[in-house]
This record gives sequence, structure tokens and C-alpha cells, in this order.
Amino acid sequence: MTDLLHIGRDVPRPDGADKVGGKALYIHDITRPGMLYGAIKFSEHAHARIVRIDTSRAQRLPGVRAVITGDDVPEVRFGFMRDNLALKKGKVRQFRDEIAAVAAIDPDIAKEAVDLIDVEYEPLPGLFTTADALADGAALIHETDPTGRPVTSNLVPAACSHRSGDLEAGKRASRFVAEGHYTVPRIQQASLGTAGCIAEFDLNGNLTVTAKTQIPFLAQRDFTNALRALGIKDKNVRVVVPAVGGAFGSGLDTHAYEYISILLAWHTGKPVKILYDRYEEFAYLSPRQSAELFIRQGCDENGKLTFREIEVTQDNGAYVSWGATYPNVMLVAATSLHRVPNVYFNATIVYTNNTYCQAMRGYGNPEVTWGIETNLEELAEKAGIDALEMRLLNCNQPGDVTPMGLNLQSCGLRECLEGTAEALDWDRTRSVSRRPGRGVGMAALINVGGGGKIYRSDGSGIILKLDDFGNVNVSYGGVEMGQGLHSALSLMVAEAVGVLPERVIINQTDTATAPWDVGTHASRGAFMAGNAARIAGARLRERIFALAEQVYPGEVERNLAALGEGEGLDEFDFRSVTRDGFDLRNGWLLCKDAGDEPWLRVELGRFLRAAHFAKEGGTGTMFTEEAFYEPPTDLPDWSAGYGNMSAAYTFGVQGVEVEVDEDTGEVTILRMVAVTDGGRVLSRQAAEGQLYGGIVQGVGYALYEEVHSSEGRILNPGFTDYKIPTAADIAFPIELQWVETNDPEGPFGAKGLGEAGIVPTAPAIANAIYDAVGVRIRDLPITPEKVVQALAAKVGE
Amino acid sequence: MGFEYHQPSTTAEALELVARFPDAEIIAGGTDLMVRLNKTRRVPPALISLRRVQELTHIENGSGLRIGAAVPLRDVATHPAVAAGFPALVDAIRVFGSPQIRNMATLAGNLCNASPGADCAPPLLIYDALVELRSAAGVRELTIEDFILGPGATALEAGEIVTAIRVPPPPPAARSIYLRKGRVQMDLAITGVAARLEMDGATCGAVRIAAGAVAPVPRRLPRTESVVAGAAAGAETWARARAEAQHEISPISDVRASEQYRRHLTGVLVERSLARLASTNGGGT
Amino acid sequence: MKVEVGFRLNGYEVRAEVEPHLRLLDVLRDTLGETGTKEGCGEGECGACTVLVDGAAINSCLFPVCEAAGTSVMTVEGLAEANGALSPIQRAFLDHGGAQCGFCTPGIVMAGVALLAENPNPSDAEIRYSLTGNLCRCTGYVQIVAAIRAAAVATRGERGD
Repeated sequence: MTDLLHIGRDVPRPDGADKVGGKALYIHDITRPGMLYGAIKFSEHAHARIVRIDTSRAQRLPGVRAVITGDDVPEVRFGFMRDNLALKKGKVRQFRDEIAAVAAIDPDIAKEAVDLIDVEYEPLPGLFTTADALADGAALIHETDPTGRPVTSNLVPAACSHRSGDLEAGKRASRFVAEGHYTVPRIQQASLGTAGCIAEFDLNGNLTVTAKTQIPFLAQRDFTNALRALGIKDKNVRVVVPAVGGAFGSGLDTHAYEYISILLAWHTGKPVKILYDRYEEFAYLSPRQSAELFIRQGCDENGKLTFREIEVTQDNGAYVSWGATYPNVMLVAATSLHRVPNVYFNATIVYTNNTYCQAMRGYGNPEVTWGIETNLEELAEKAGIDALEMRLLNCNQPGDVTPMGLNLQSCGLRECLEGTAEALDWDRTRSVSRRPGRGVGMAALINVGGGGKIYRSDGSGIILKLDDFGNVNVSYGGVEMGQGLHSALSLMVAEAVGVLPERVIINQTDTATAPWDVGTHASRGAFMAGNAARIAGARLRERIFALAEQVYPGEVERNLAALGEGEGLDEFDFRSVTRDGFDLRNGWLLCKDAGDEPWLRVELGRFLRAAHFAKEGGTGTMFTEEAFYEPPTDLPDWSAGYGNMSAAYTFGVQGVEVEVDEDTGEVTILRMVAVTDGGRVLSRQAAEGQLYGGIVQGVGYALYEEVHSSEGRILNPGFTDYKIPTAADIAFPIELQWVETNDPEGPFGAKGLGEAGIVPTAPAIANAIYDAVGVRIRDLPITPEKVVQALAAKVGE
Repeated sequence: MGFEYHQPSTTAEALELVARFPDAEIIAGGTDLMVRLNKTRRVPPALISLRRVQELTHIENGSGLRIGAAVPLRDVATHPAVAAGFPALVDAIRVFGSPQIRNMATLAGNLCNASPGADCAPPLLIYDALVELRSAAGVRELTIEDFILGPGATALEAGEIVTAIRVPPPPPAARSIYLRKGRVQMDLAITGVAARLEMDGATCGAVRIAAGAVAPVPRRLPRTESVVAGAAAGAETWARARAEAQHEISPISDVRASEQYRRHLTGVLVERSLARLASTNGGGT
Repeated sequence: MKVEVGFRLNGYEVRAEVEPHLRLLDVLRDTLGETGTKEGCGEGECGACTVLVDGAAINSCLFPVCEAAGTSVMTVEGLAEANGALSPIQRAFLDHGGAQCGFCTPGIVMAGVALLAENPNPSDAEIRYSLTGNLCRCTGYVQIVAAIRAAAVATRGERGD
């Protein structure tokens, strides 16, 4: 591993030039000949029976090509629990329910037509809190399950719990206990590029969907199921992913608008594009799941953790998507952040008439870490132990197998804690010798770093295809959505094959050409792609070296003829090099044991052409290799909350210094530091970008962001009212440090980094606020208003 | 669709067009109007642009300022006479939208939009600015109070356009400031407070305080002013002004802040603005 | 009824028959096929649609196309050389990781061009303030600020300042 030529370099991203030049094509920029524009009629009630839908006025509008409702088309069922319909029938359960759709020759006409659709409703009482939805006699949001069997409550049937050790014994062994309720709001992924797709059928009945998605292959499966519902069998569905304008989890599920564009394309025989505008993105896409957490932790007189108890209640909204599985990922930190012997975790997920929720970066982990890491500091204070000290005392160690069965093969948490403390000058800045209103805080993280198995395969395939010129074309099913997958992948393929990174060409993600991949989430893209590339690269090299036994001598002779001489010619028998004697470095075929003389080097392209256009008597050959990497992980038993769900675990600590204006309640971040064990850094620029970006999303989560709603209606559906940090809000230095553990399962020692940045930011900030002014905010976001209220309450105590 | 776009080059032409198209929208910077049109997908029968009406594109500096209705905010803030005499207006423009918005938006437009939180209104209130309106019938001038009537409602009559904002010369010893808070750097105001103070030794002389985003219209706070005028400069007076301001305003709760926090924060900003004005050495701010 | 609108776009005269109610953004993207300029919000909050009109950065989603008549409009497509060589600021965004998903990038690059034209030697605070109208969800802005800082140095170097 000391011999790496490209891994860890600070190089520009391969798709960067097109992006800075405005040439990258997003779904917004793509049109097809004859394409129609789709628009959707959304519900005007949170909970109501649909009495009548009148589309006649819309049908008559010139330029309209189709108007469809749930009554006009076969029932297309989708979603994690198949409880959602592309077009709703009979009943709406949230404001964003899709009732009807239009295809028209331009987007304005389509939207005008939607405004002409009249729906008569019979309003039903809405349930907007988990307590109301669970109350005795509460109306049922879904009267039956997807198979038609009656249900008896609004509980989502997604059990997730864990019990390890002996909780009661842990409690008895506790000298100090801290407990509290911690809440996190719905927030929006707020990708700058909004959602959209184009669906089109060819005349053989095969479907192509160009989609802003993170899961091309699961989408292919979902869309194939949709075609079956339409009575179309044995046809091909192809999912093509254009440049993605950010996703952060919003593309982790298929969406009703995608099925609707398929239905409209099927109905009209034309390509149909649906593109959300910013309002629709906020009002009609699934935000990050909110959660209420009750957390209780205890420690002995020395500060050693004795138990951890967590109850989670999630307001799922009206349908089940991935948001309902956040608790699965919460288990990772709940059971395994810090060494804790006796753990209880239980999650209750409840249907309501609020908007249904989905994935966002970190997927449950920022939520649960918010509670654990703030509660831990409350416990440390009760025990009279410094919070850093307590974390060090209970620090995870390499080789640990945690209560959930996570196998921590590499773990640099201790170094992350120490590095953060040193960067913050913890001993001097914490609580003592500081200016009034100033404080420091930190929070730690564990995150899946080698995939996260929540589906029966967590694997990824790759195809590496060498052309006649020494380029490697890569077909990979994962999605570059800005995170730098292609940066890391181009370096890893270059390293694995032995070419220069600029000769690695990564194809557009397309289910027709790439092997299967479960999707780009859970910080898994580069980890999986890299491991698959290592396997395929090794196979390519093996085949190249085998053939080199025959081809190489002739090519060296050509070198000698061209150069007229060869230094050391007498000492080295280039005609009898065997396969084990070759190397391929930066696109040159070399002999390992010979000097790096020009006459001994054969340019890869020349070698490949010689192999392809074989001399008379020989058979030409091409070099393409595929590999499928399935990580050595378990699909956990969620009801027991046990299983090693990831092939590696990423650790990190963030530290922050804040100043709190006690009069206005404003929190000003003075500096941040993040020390991260993501294994070996693959692409420095991309790794730093993931951390900076994650941290700043974490700052938004901590201080600003919340999807406000009233009786199910979203009150701030736009950037005017939903605020994400601007450049001027990040007016503080962010120092990044890397603890480069070398993970045995990681490609070139790397672990996943996509999510780590956002995970501990909010608790680190909250802990710093407490250090600064002595108020503990347990409810995100920490608005100036909450700080002022807490300060007033403190004075009143 | 029957949409017409007109770009007159003189005020007279503009007035003629306004009379001809009573339902037309007038566009100066367009930063509010275009948002509204984009959101509602509404196409008005006509758009009359003031951007190239020569008479409206400059700032006259004589006895006070006359700021043409088509001058972008960025040019207002960088005009030497504005910077010298009307620092609260510069403060307001500095936090107004973004560079792109300031390159388009105008003072007149900000007033015509009549948002309760219009950032430029509190400074214009403390500077006794007048809105110059013209129609075929002639010219009239209204105070800001008489011009902004309610959220989104102004005294603009049919056939009339705002041609300029006039600001009288400030008293030589007056200092002024605008403080505002949003949730992030680019945001509508949670509250904004403009204050102008003349000191008479250690005693507060004439004072004006105005606030935005805390009532249906941006407004002066006369009761708070009366607490300050004639009182001894110092923390005690500022604290009394703070308490009075919290009662004098009538804010609402929305996604940006609650009514209670708006009251609290407005009080803080009143206190801080007065303290800063009283402690500033020399002229200017 | 369509009208003809003419302006200079990236140094070339263009004329287009357009519905007069359209925004400059619509005409750039849909009529003229220059899709580098993006629409991120349609209300002047995100800055993805930032272009320069007579040198001033504006939100093209709030700019009626008729207002552009006779002006000089510059978009991200006008920055690179004809042979594809990136301009110094584009190069700096590439080298410093200023683009991730890239959707905000054309607008941010144009805001940076406007800033450096006015202030060739901006402080970090000035860079950050100049970007308040450009939202980015991916980068956290750190590498964007670094890129503009580097572009300022490169641009000054090129001019021999």
C-alpha cells in the first residue's frame, strides 16, 4: 500500500470542467423530440374523501394531450410498504396527494390545465401529531393494509428494537443518570437542482426513464412492477441518470411523479417530462424525518457508561418510505457510539396526515446522535467529569464487537477526540478562562463506512472496458450527485488497473450498460465501487500480463527498431518474461525486474491494439472485465436490532467554539474543527468537500432549518421562508484533520465519508452553547428565540 | 395572450402609458413584481418599465436628495451624498437582499411593494422622506406614513406613478443607524429598527425611531421617542426606550419569529441603536 | 404576439422572436439553447440564474427579456475561450473543488466574475458577502471562497497588477 500513485491526491473532479462551464446536462436541460410536459393536481386537504373529480375543463384547454385520474388508469402501487398509489383513489391522506395529472405541449399549459381540474372533497378530521394518531378512537389513516386486510391502528408495522446486556443491572450499577427528551424537526434536502424525470416508450413497448435518482436499479425494479400493473409484461425498463443537481437522500425512493410521467407517456405515446419547481420541491417531495427521542444514560462513579436507553417516536406522515427505516440506522450509534454495556432501543413509527418523509444524509444518525451526545454531556456534568474525559474513558477501540454486533475493524475515535481537543485547546477554553458568552463543545460520531445493509444485497457491480487507445471506460451503477464518487472512482480505477486517472472515463449511469448496484446512499458509493474496481482491475491485469508473454517481446523489438539501441540490452532477456514479471503503471507495460528504460516500456494502447488486431494465425482479443462486490455484512434482524450491517465504520469528532449574544439569543460560530477517521483519504478535494458540505448542512440543521407546517400544510415552501446557510453565515474557519486508519475491508483502506460531516454538528454546537451560557436546548433548530427563552427560564430558576 | 411591454424614455410617455393601460404593472427593478408574476403564473395585460426613463435614473443632490424611481439600490448606497448624510439608509441597503437584487431593486419599488418589513422604509421614515407621485393631473408628495397604507396597499392612484423619493437634508448634528435581524444573512427582516438622534450635551435632543416587520406597516414609534427626547443619555434611558418599544409595536408570529420574540428583539435593537448613536464620536453615523 | 428582442450575448449579437412576457432566463435557456444558466427557485433567492447585464450581476429569473434589449448579456458560456480553455475563475473552481453537484456553479461563477471586476482584491469577508445571493447546498462554500480568492490572484497576475 505504500506504492500508491494516485490515491490521496488532491486532483480536480473529472466532471468539474463541464460543471464550471455550464455544460453538464441536468434533467432541467434535457428535452426529447415531441416531448410533452406533465403537471400534477395535488390535494387541497390533508385528509378527505374524494367525492368527484371533474377534468372536463382541463380536457378542453388547447394544447392539452391527456388528463388522467386514478379512475382512468390501472392502479399503480408503490412505496416501501406498497401503501401508496401513483394517483390516489377514494381518499387523500396528505396535502401533497396526487389526484390527477395532465400532459400538454408546454409546461405553462399543463399547469393552467391543472388549475382547471375541480375536485369535490368530503373533509375528514386530520391527525397531525403522533399522540393524536395513537389516541384511542383515532380515525384510521389507512383503513386496510396494501393487501386489503383491515388494520386496527395508525402504527406503521416496522418494528425496530434492541436489547442487549441487562438494562436493570446497568441501572443498578449507575451512580449518575441523565435523561431527557430531544427533538429534531423535518428539514428539506434542498438540492439546488429540483426533481424531475422524462419517461418515454419506444415502439417495441420498452420504457426509458431519465431520472434524477440515487437508485437506478431499484427504480428499474419499481418501474417494471408499474408496467406489470399496466398489463405490460416482459418489456425492458431502462433508467438513465443525467447530471444530478444534488440529492442528499431525496432520490433514494421512487416518487409518484415518476410513475405519473410513465402513465402519461403510456397514455399519449409521447415522451413526458415532469419537472418540479422550487415550490413543488418543498411542498410535494419528502423531507427528512422528524423524531422525538427520550434518552437515558448512566455511568458509574468513575464515568464509565453503565447503560443507555432510547425510545424513539417518529411522525411518519401518510405513507411509508425510507424515513420509516431511520431507526434501523439509529441502532448503529444507539448501540455502538462509545462503549456501553447494556442497551435498550425501541422505535414507534406512526402514520399521520403530515407529509411523508424520506431519506436525508445521515439517515437517522444525526437524529440519534443529537440526543446521545447532548445527553452524554448532561451525564458528564452530573458526574462531575469533563465531557472529553468521559468520551475518552468510554472510547470505542479497534477490534471491538459492539452490542449490535458491529465489528469495528478499524477505529480512530480516540485520535479524533484527542485531535479535536488539541485543536480547540480544550483544557484552556472549556468552561474556564474564557470570555463571557463564549464556549466550546464537541460531539462524536460513528457512521456506517462500508455500506449499510438494509436490502437483501448491498452489492455493486462494475465493468472496466479497455479500448484500443489505453482508456478505461467504467460502467458503474452508482450515482455521482456531486459528492465526488467519480473523483474517487477515477483514482481507484487508475490505481487498480495501472493507468493515469485522466485515462479513466466514467460512463453515464445507465441500467442498460452498468451492472446492478443497490443505490448510492449510506456513504457507500466509493467504498463499493472501489472494491469492485479492485477485483475487476486485478483480473484485467492478470489477463494483460498473461497475453504479454506473447505480445510483449514483439513490441520491445519494435521499440528497439525505433530507438536504434537499448541500454542494458545484454543483461535482460525481454523475450522470456513470464506473467508474474510484468507490471502496468500509469499506462505503461513494464517488467518488474528491469530498469525503467524506454525500450522496455510498452504503451498500453499499443499493447491493446497488438492484442486486438492479432497477427496472422493469432486470435484477436479485447479486455473487458466485470466484478461484483458484495460486502461481508449481515442484513440485521431489526426486531432484535442485531447484525454487522456495514463492512467498515467511520468515526469522527467535531469541535466548535461559539459566542452567544445573551440579549438577542443569537449564536455566532467562531470556529469549527472536524477530525475524521474515514480510513485512507482517496481524493483529497472530494473528501474535504464532503466534510465541509456536511458540516454546513449540520449548521443549518442546528441553527436555522425547519419545515414548518400547520395542520399538514407546509408553511415555508421556498427559499424565502426556508433558510439554508449562505456563504456569509459561514464566516468562520473550519479546520479539517484526517485520522487515516487503513481499514482492511476498505478499498485502498478507505471508508465511506458521504454522511459523516452532518452527524455530530448539532450536538457539538448545542454543547458549546451550554458551555457558553449554561442553557441546554434539546429541541432543534436552536433559534435565537429558544436561547432567549431558555436564558429567561434560567434567570427565573 | 395580449401582453404588451413598454419601455418609455420620458416621464410624460410613461404617464401616457399608465393612463392607457389601467391594469398594467409598473416595473422598476422587478424584484418583487417578477416574483409575484412567476409564482402566480399571471401575465398582466401590459408591463410598463421605468428602467429607461431618463429623468428617473439619477440622484439629484441639492437641498436634500431626490432619488429617481429607477435608481437601483446599489447606486443609492454608493452615492457619496447618501453615505455622508443618510447612513441608516446605507445600513438598510447593505442587508437588503443580495448583490443581484440590489443591482435591480429600487427604493421606490421597495415602498410600492408596501411590505410590513420593507427594509428601506424605517430609514426613510426617520429621515422624513417624501414620496413624489405624478399623474397627468400633476405632482403630489406624500409622507411614507401616508403612502404605505397596509400590507401591499399604497396610496398610489390610478394613472399615477412614483417618480422619486425626496429626502430633506438631515440636521447637521443628527446621527442615525439601522439595525435589523434576519435568520440568515439573506432574509427578510424579523425586525428592523432605524433611529436618529441629536444630542444636546448629555441630554437627548430630537429623536426619531422607526421599525419594520412589527406592525402592518413600517412605522415610527412616537411613544418610544418621547421616552428618549429630553432624557439623560445613558443606559437607564435606553432600557426605558427598550421597554416602551416592546409595548408600542404590534407584531405577528410567522415562520421567521414569534410575536413575543419580535417584541423582545425590537426592544433590544432600539436599546442598542440608541446606545450606539449616543456613543459615536464625530459626525456621520 | 411575439416581438423581436436583440442584445449582445457573450460578445455576439443575437435576435430572437419571443413572447414579450418571458424572462431573460427563459429566452437564454429555451429559445437560445444556452442551458448553462440554471433556474433554482424563480424568486431571486438562490442565484443559480445569475448572469451579467451590462456588467452587473442580476437574477435572470426576475429580469423581463424585453429589458435586455440593447444590452450586453454575459453568461457562463461566455467565459471559456473558443478552444475550450477555461477562464481563470473557472480553472480556480476546478482546482479548488468549488463545484460539487454543479447546479449552482454557473451562477456562483458569474457572481464571482462580477465581484472581481469591481474588487480585484477582495477579502474573504467581501467574497462571502458578495455570495449572499447564491445558495449552494453541497460545498459549504469553503472551497468556493478559496476558488474565488485564488481566481483573484490569478486574474491580477494575468493583468500584471
